[in-house]
Amino acid sequence: MQDNSSVKVKVTNLTKSFGSLLVLDNLNFEVKNGEFLCIVGPTGCGKTTFLNTLTKLYEPTKGEILVNGVPVDPKKQNISYIFQEYSAFPWLTVKENVMWGLKIKDVSGKEATENTMEMLDIVGLTKFQDYYPNQISVSMLQRVVIARAFATKPELLLMDEPYGQLDIDLRFRLEDELLKLWEKTKTTVLFITHNIEEAVYLGQNIMVLTNKPTSVKTVIKNPLPLPRDAMAQEFVELREEVTELIKWW
Amino acid sequence: MSISWIKNGRKFAYGTFGILLFGTIWFFATNGTNLGKILPDPITVLKKFFVSFAEPIGTKTMTLHILTSLRRMLLPYLTACVTGIVLGMVIGWYKPLEAIIKPYIELIRPIPPIAWIPLSIAWFGFAEMSKYFLIFLACFPTITINTYSGVRSVDETIVRAARMLGAKDRQLFATVVMPSTVPYIFAGLQVAIGSSWATIVAAEMIRSSEGVGWLIISGQETSNMSQVLVGIVAIALTGLLLVSFMRLLETKLCAWNERGA
Amino acid sequence: MAEQRTLIVCDHVSKEFQTPEGVFKVIEDLNIKVKENEFLVLFGPGQCGKTTILNTFAGFEIPTSGEITVNGKKVTRPGSERGMVFQTTALFPWFKVMGNVEYGPKVRGESKAKRRERAQHYIDLVGLQGFENSYPIKLSGGMKQRVGIARAYCNEPLLLLMDEPFGHLDAQTRYLMQEELMRIWQQEKRTIIFVTNNIEEAVYLADRILVLSNCPTGVKAEYEINLPHPRQYTDPEFLRLRREINDVIDHTL
Repeated sequence: MQDNSSVKVKVTNLTKSFGSLLVLDNLNFEVKNGEFLCIVGPTGCGKTTFLNTLTKLYEPTKGEILVNGVPVDPKKQNISYIFQEYSAFPWLTVKENVMWGLKIKDVSGKEATENTMEMLDIVGLTKFQDYYPNQISVSMLQRVVIARAFATKPELLLMDEPYGQLDIDLRFRLEDELLKLWEKTKTTVLFITHNIEEAVYLGQNIMVLTNKPTSVKTVIKNPLPLPRDAMAQEFVELREEVTELIKWW
Repeated sequence: MSISWIKNGRKFAYGTFGILLFGTIWFFATNGTNLGKILPDPITVLKKFFVSFAEPIGTKTMTLHILTSLRRMLLPYLTACVTGIVLGMVIGWYKPLEAIIKPYIELIRPIPPIAWIPLSIAWFGFAEMSKYFLIFLACFPTITINTYSGVRSVDETIVRAARMLGAKDRQLFATVVMPSTVPYIFAGLQVAIGSSWATIVAAEMIRSSEGVGWLIISGQETSNMSQVLVGIVAIALTGLLLVSFMRLLETKLCAWNERGA
Repeated sequence: MAEQRTLIVCDHVSKEFQTPEGVFKVIEDLNIKVKENEFLVLFGPGQCGKTTILNTFAGFEIPTSGEITVNGKKVTRPGSERGMVFQTTALFPWFKVMGNVEYGPKVRGESKAKRRERAQHYIDLVGLQGFENSYPIKLSGGMKQRVGIARAYCNEPLLLLMDEPFGHLDAQTRYLMQEELMRIWQQEKRTIIFVTNNIEEAVYLADRILVLSNCPTGVKAEYEINLPHPRQYTDPEFLRLRREINDVIDHTL
């Protein structure tokens, strides 16, 4: 079943260049099963390019990405994504949105409904299951997107700046919900952000990338237990430590 | 840097390939076939086109045909530019005038220039003036409405910023409203040059003896298909040049804008 | 140290809006005094009337009752003795950086040589030397906001109003700009009223913080921050203040 010591994602010598422009330079790292890894880097480092190689939008120039020991293949493996521009589909109700991922993966009707209802319950949207996206608030919309991603019980969840410009209050609440879902489903999560506070709040481990050509500067283990307090001394000190590593100004 | 060269080079290659493919199909469809009896093949057309620069068709060479048509288009076009921009600004700025004048412009806009020919002849006879009138009507509404949209779309926050810095009304208009409207005006001018050039055929239906439109009309009257096609080629190439020129102007004038950059 | 004089007085200001649903009271009996060269932060979560308050100081809105005076003069319309930095930067895209920064002195009739010199001084102050001839579209978000700050400063206003100027910047650039603003302000002191919804930003920047309540907005609490600059996010006193303010505010749903 879930074996925490096994490796879920193994990235070896990952290099990506566009013509003569070297963006990713020899990235090497491992992500354990069920781990929550946050990836931070200075603004403008190749985070998006990295993500695109993970989703196979780009082919790596060199090196490989293994998920469960085989080369990553979004079509065959159960990988979910949440990106910044991700939104609930306006033509589907809340419930249909959450079920959408399951339908795509050909999950049976009964199991799909069960998973969906379970997710809706966790994010507190059971009452709103028949509402349309334009009838609910922004915070509820974001929860629909998260629920949709988790409903398929993915092995690997990739998230890229999903909470972009949201209100601070709202952001922390969504992050709490994300952690709750992660603890319950034991999914492996790769969370890419440039918001250092967010990385320290969420990540078990924090991987720091360098500026272009991008490589792994270091991986910091987050010693703070959940639930974390963004205003606690140790938290801010850890945040400052990571900031110093990234500081391009 | 090298990437954009590759991309542009590829685009150019595909474009050229497309044209050659079209030409080849046209050639084989008309060379010695039944279709070839009514439609001349591309080689004949191109030959005739290039020859006409030396040997006149009718009374003038191709150069003069093109220049005459250009003159017929440019005069009303430039008049429409000036009047359209001024009127567009006025109705954009003053709401009562917008309410009175804009509906008329919206009414004129969808009427195809050909429909104006009878009225034009009635008012201006067969002189050049009636041709100018037609072309003016083809482009005036577009330029006016685009200018109007530009004035209405000035960013309110930028207006506030200017006021906080001490700009008075007249300065506001000159340094904020006008520059802000330029991309919109330019969009209008670009569309208008296309539509006014396209109207040249309709305009030259009003009794002419030269011009690229006349080439088509007289070619049709004498069942000279290759002349008709030569006329079409002339119109297409000149139109392409006009549009390219406008694009070049835009990059110079609107360097600060996303479209022009 | 001599007592700083009071430069701005907001006296019993209220602001109502007529809406189809009736009268909507945004500001209720606001009383604020701002000293010369003070860095005052108006902090309020969510959509409470802080933008309306700032617009009233700017002169874009007229109070329904009460009045605001700057240096003894009543505020009735926008004017160049008050400068503003906008969240969306509101730069003039058709002017280069120099054209933007020198705009204030230009419309007020200053000679080309003098205003160029003045603008250059402020372009250097915000750290954009070398970018005088760039169009805003070529600049990053942080750089654009620097131009916004230089432009407002260049007009040498008595009061600088800043409306969540770092709100649209990414988290890292935001930290950078907070440091930069402090550096700029230490070098050239001005009276600043700064609006934000970020507690950490408020504690980092402010001499004094006014915590605003939700609509109808009034001052809920006031904090004097006596920490020396540059401030440390990890300082225990800094964190204590953050917590205290966080407990006081009305949280949005």
